[in-house]
Amino acid sequence: MKSFAFTIMCLASCFIQGQNNAIGSNEKLVFTASYNMSGLLTDLAQVTMETNEVKTSKSTLLHLKGKARTYSKWDAFFKINDLYESYVHPNSLKPYLYKRDINEGGYYKFMKYNYNHKTNSVKSLKRKRRGDGTFWDENKNLNISSNTRDIIATLYHIRNLDIHKASIGNSDTFTVLMDNEEFKITLTLLAKETINTNIGRKECYKLAIGMNNNFLKGDNDNLLWLTADSNKIPVYAKFKVPVGNGELRIQSATGLKN
Amino acid sequence: MRLLITTLAIIAAILGLILSILPFEKIALISIILAFILGFIAFKMAQKDGANTKLVKVIFLITIIALVLSIYRSVFDKNVVENDIETIEKEKQSQEDAIEELEGLEIED
Repeated sequence: MKSFAFTIMCLASCFIQGQNNAIGSNEKLVFTASYNMSGLLTDLAQVTMETNEVKTSKSTLLHLKGKARTYSKWDAFFKINDLYESYVHPNSLKPYLYKRDINEGGYYKFMKYNYNHKTNSVKSLKRKRRGDGTFWDENKNLNISSNTRDIIATLYHIRNLDIHKASIGNSDTFTVLMDNEEFKITLTLLAKETINTNIGRKECYKLAIGMNNNFLKGDNDNLLWLTADSNKIPVYAKFKVPVGNGELRIQSATGLKN
Repeated sequence: MRLLITTLAIIAAILGLILSILPFEKIALISIILAFILGFIAFKMAQKDGANTKLVKVIFLITIIALVLSIYRSVFDKNVVENDIETIEKEKQSQEDAIEELEGLEIED
């Protein structure tokens, strides 16, 4: 009976989720990304998450933009200039177009996904740079599940979840399309904590992120703190990847919806 | 033994100086602290043996310069991102291309 009630609740939440209550159309979150170098956390890059409304002749979409740029002092050593974009439905946050343009120390890659939600498929384009400076393209048609999203749309979708209804220990799984492959991300609510951030002392949901590929390492080593208010801003994150570990700290938050 | 410690102190001091000139000011502190400890041991050993302490004093001088540079960089160097026109234009172009691509799309309500 208990599991039946839980199933009903989950199904209901899936249908109720049509409303975006957390993300405004001119929101800007700025973070500092630090990397652990010889045991010392060193500020490496600025990560920005922005939203804006875009209009086409027939519809209005929400443009979600994630940028990662190394601080100028590091540019001579290893320059990162990444741009992740997702064009989503302003209410359901369902993605329609995704673009990823990464430039990391001379390595270039461009990915584009055109979603077709009627056929549950994605038209994918991958563009890479050869050693001689010329580009090559790879076009693919991928079949996806109905709830598959790109990484940017997933991040914002997580913010739009009714976390306040979840109990400590509850988890949820999301399907993410990355590099033409679907991955499962599991989010577990570990605790409710109050932490000090650059935007003040905030009560937060502490979430553990797990991934079924080798991108994220360890159990409960990848953590995300979302403010326990209606904006659910990510204020702090700890990550452990195969090449090391680090953290993400919020610097400023403007244009919030609530 | 004294020669080995003095050599290690020189290496640590020079490494600390290089790292503090480069943007690795935090890591430089490890080298600087090590140079100070080794320099101090080398100084005491030289005093005990009645040897010349000139080289050890030079090590201390390099270490102090590295420390000042490192502290200066930690306090006054601001983390800034270069907002070059190329990137701004690229973002603008990307959005224009996306709008063109999404043109005609009828989104489900």
